Amino acid sequence: MNTPRRIRIAVQAAFLLLFVFLFLQTESKGNDDLGYPVKLFLDFDPLILITTLLSAHAVAAGFLLSIIVIAVTFIFGRVFCGWICPLGTLNNMVGSLRRSKPRISPRWNTAKYLLLVFLIVSSLFGMQLAGVFDPLSLLIRSFSLAVYPALSSATNAGLDLLYGAPNQSVNAFGEAVAAAAKKLYLPFQQPFYEQGWFIGILFLGVLGLNLVEQRFWCRYLCPLGALLGIFSRWSFLKRSVSEGCNECGACTRVCVGNATPHEKDNWKPTECLYCRNCDDVCPKNAVSFGFGSKQPTGSLNIGRRRVVTAALSGAVAVPLIRTVPLAKQGFHNPALVRPPGSLDEREFLQRCVKCGECMKVCITGGLQPTLMEAGLEGIWSPVLVPKIGYCEYRCTLCGQVCPTGAIKRLTIQEKEQVSIGTAMIDKGRCLPYAHSTPCIVCEEVCPTGKKAIWLEEVTVRDADGNVITVKQPHIDLKTCIGCGICETKCPVIDRPAIYVTSIGETRSKTNKLLL
Amino acid sequence: MKRRDFLRLTALTSLSVAIGVDNRTNQAFGAAPAYDLAVVTGASPQKITSAAIDALGGMTTFVKRGDVVVVKPNIGWDRTPEYAANTNPEVVAAIVRLCLEAGAKKVKVFDRSVNDPRRCYVQSGIADAVKKAGGEVSYIDERKFRDVKINGSVLKSWPLYTELMEADKVINVPIAKHHGLSRLTLGMKNWMGVMGGSRASIHQKINESLVDISMAIKPTLVVLDAVRVLTANGPQGGNLKDVKKLDTIVAGVNQVAVDAYGATLFGMKSSDLGYVRIAAQNGFGPMDTARMKIRKISI
Repeated sequence: MNTPRRIRIAVQAAFLLLFVFLFLQTESKGNDDLGYPVKLFLDFDPLILITTLLSAHAVAAGFLLSIIVIAVTFIFGRVFCGWICPLGTLNNMVGSLRRSKPRISPRWNTAKYLLLVFLIVSSLFGMQLAGVFDPLSLLIRSFSLAVYPALSSATNAGLDLLYGAPNQSVNAFGEAVAAAAKKLYLPFQQPFYEQGWFIGILFLGVLGLNLVEQRFWCRYLCPLGALLGIFSRWSFLKRSVSEGCNECGACTRVCVGNATPHEKDNWKPTECLYCRNCDDVCPKNAVSFGFGSKQPTGSLNIGRRRVVTAALSGAVAVPLIRTVPLAKQGFHNPALVRPPGSLDEREFLQRCVKCGECMKVCITGGLQPTLMEAGLEGIWSPVLVPKIGYCEYRCTLCGQVCPTGAIKRLTIQEKEQVSIGTAMIDKGRCLPYAHSTPCIVCEEVCPTGKKAIWLEEVTVRDADGNVITVKQPHIDLKTCIGCGICETKCPVIDRPAIYVTSIGETRSKTNKLLL
Repeated sequence: MKRRDFLRLTALTSLSVAIGVDNRTNQAFGAAPAYDLAVVTGASPQKITSAAIDALGGMTTFVKRGDVVVVKPNIGWDRTPEYAANTNPEVVAAIVRLCLEAGAKKVKVFDRSVNDPRRCYVQSGIADAVKKAGGEVSYIDERKFRDVKINGSVLKSWPLYTELMEADKVINVPIAKHHGLSRLTLGMKNWMGVMGGSRASIHQKINESLVDISMAIKPTLVVLDAVRVLTANGPQGGNLKDVKKLDTIVAGVNQVAVDAYGATLFGMKSSDLGYVRIAAQNGFGPMDTARMKIRKISI
């Protein structure tokens, strides 16, 4: 193995480890601030920069870092794909299980450019769909909602076995392993996500495509790869082949990017990942990479008709996706309880890239991915499901990790003023109302300084006809912030007798209840 | 006495109570200090805690060399100390230090929080203070709850935390606070923090349940933190207007006696608290504060 390739593998490993490290740090330690720049990889993502700029006409400051990636691509080509992208590295790893000649026509390379055109045009019309296909967003989402929960679940199942074994030394061993696993990688608590399995299958699908062809995703589908490919067309660093080349074709077999390296004057910089495999494998040592090469290169030919079709599809998709009632002014989904600090729904969707960082970091695990609750454009955006977990009164982590500002970063003082919905009581199920049984749990856990749940002492008859006094809860609409802890902790556990819906949310001008 | 023997004894004594033998259970074991309660006031939480325990004979009366001790504060809420929702961290740290000085092998501190445990442990200041004092702070591990026979009037059995049940000595360190249903949360209610399962359902019969659970977990010592007390919007508060500074520590070996006295800190009668009344009626402890031997110190 020659040096550039060895360096490349080391760099890939380093970035993958950095990614995993930052991923694991996306978890509360009990302090107000998270402390680590966990969204760093997304900050460097120019696809998200461009689409957010187009859809929301604004961009979070962190994204200016992605200009560095654009600049690097202009100089060195698609090194981001070949050397840095953690999904690319994973594709490399899985793909190394199978090495075969490309089976798919290189014409399919253009698919990713068409997807890119589609995403950019739909963002131009105010719909942010890039996050669904963006590789970094996809990877963080898949890790957060599927891979990590599954890993944790498997580990815990093993630990339960050791812990439950009828042998004390096995139990002690189990405790030691548990302590080590907790330090190393286990989450504080087992996460559970709606659709976790589905997002996991999609991710396995992306990885599995490597068995059809190595780096299938990077070659044919990745819209970020397409964007960088376009920049790469003008890159200064170019491949050149010396006279020694006898066109043996060894390079083509190891090329992971459909860059047609065997066609001396038709090497495609837009497809090349600069992985240096061709340089490494060339028996004549005829391949070199350098600045200022005059050798002709292959061009990018997507096809004008196809581009127009993709652009039109992107334009048509926007009104089509918005034919649902949710798009109607004043129509609100009661289940759409957004994280605190979320922008008004339209603006929120223009920014949210469905990366799942907010769900990963949510301290109670209550933030869940939507399916169709927010329409197709809102797929996998965060929604609070208080039955799973409530919004912790003094926690502001979701706003800290949101890469696009769809969820604003709030101070604790600001957050105390933000309502994400309103609690309502189901008197048919509530113990003091329906069953003459004492209970004040919702009031006890209500976190606002002046409690938003107040108790009224009333005398009622119980089943035996005895007169007893119970305290019946009421909601103070002015004070309730919709955090949902009352719903999470309600002892009527299967379908809580108090529940939160989105009405009264601060971010909406129309979803209001009080005068 | 090992914790298990103690449990067995507890079961036997409750049985004897059930068949009508009046037995002040706390006299059945441990040292019998000269005072029922020590009530110390002063500006330094650490000093008044030490003084209160000294007044009862010092920590060596309660903790023997090599003991594994569990100190159980209230770390239920994501609040900083000035909000008086969790036990004062200086009080907890002082007790941990005294236990270690008395020769304890290990001092463990934990609580099954209501809010997120990480935030509760950090924001309460307790995790930090205990670590500095040399104690072991751990989060509740749901695997470590085991069903314990209680045979109480309401609770027949409940999953309780094994680390507490297996400890040699248990020191209860509650904070005195307002509570919407039980009126006040003091020592006996602090045991909810070692109950597993769906513990919220005990609110249906809160007073009976608290007595049942308290008789299943008898502490060696109770140190009630009334440095700051919460007078309304309890048990988690959130409004500094509801916090009153009393700069007081109440210590005793009988948890009914401590809670009975705790009521008086809020201008209430001990009989105003249902669980104190029921416990006293069952002979688990005294509730008439006028008849208690109380050592009052002001420093």
